[in-house]
Amino acid sequence: MNKYLLRIVLVIIGGTVPALAQTYGTDNHQVTVQVSTITMVSVDISSISMTITGAGVPAGQDQMTATNTSSKLRWGVNSSSRKITAQTNLATPLFALNLLAVSPTQGTAAAEATLSTTAQDIMLNIGRSLGECTLQYTGIALASQGTGTDSHTITFTVTTQ
Amino acid sequence: MKTLCVMVFIAVVLFFQKATAQQIEVRGGNPVLSITTAVIGSEPTVVVNTTSTLRYRRQNRVTKITVQTSRPSQSFTLKALAQSVPLGTAAPEVTLTNGMPATDFVVNIPAGSNIRRTCTLRYTASATFAQGNSAEMGNDVHTVTYTLVRQ
Repeated sequence: MNKYLLRIVLVIIGGTVPALAQTYGTDNHQVTVQVSTITMVSVDISSISMTITGAGVPAGQDQMTATNTSSKLRWGVNSSSRKITAQTNLATPLFALNLLAVSPTQGTAAAEATLSTTAQDIMLNIGRSLGECTLQYTGIALASQGTGTDSHTITFTVTTQ
Repeated sequence: MKTLCVMVFIAVVLFFQKATAQQIEVRGGNPVLSITTAVIGSEPTVVVNTTSTLRYRRQNRVTKITVQTSRPSQSFTLKALAQSVPLGTAAPEVTLTNGMPATDFVVNIPAGSNIRRTCTLRYTASATFAQGNSAEMGNDVHTVTYTLVRQ
């Protein structure tokens, strides 16, 4: 009986030692990666100017326009279900100012909007993306509106869709 | 005799367990890497942490240290690199992914007298906007395991 037990012990030890000889030691710790909610939106040109001259408009046509596509809107959003809206601070503009997002690299452009003091959708479905689009502004004046200047401060906001 | 055999067996097992546990040791606690910022036009800014160290003992054979991680449902990217390695050679930076096989971390640790040396653990965390954030995805909590083995 004793020889039998001793044999078992030796077999176990004999199997343990070579295994341990290949692995000398091990240790671990926990490493945590946490990512904050990051929401960024930026316009690359701080100021643009558009002049409606009426040049090229056929005689008898009331509506005149000017278009500008020199600025881009860039964003970085790591939350899901987000959109970008735009609004102006000018409550009573003399002339209409339309905005359309063109060639977005991510998401979907909303329909062209006439800017007002109420936020309107410009870009949809931009959740969890890094992207940009061209901002196409169109100023619209009627000959019957006469002359004048509108100065807008336009604010872009990333919000829940 | 039976009792004696059992006692000898327990003593041997405890001896090897103790000896094994002392051969390699992670120090510096459990680091937390927080990604909080980005620059417009770029992915979120990567974060580096070097607060932890790895202390290991030279053996009478050439050895190496491997690394692996366990993190089911991993969302973000975590890399590890051995820095300031006094004994052996740092392997290239390892991208830690759940279920990965043990991957070389420090190699060619020469055989020799039983001395201890310490290297720095450099962790680099990164995330893309497309990978989301912790509020929606949860934190990635890795259990990173280092093993000293015969090379």
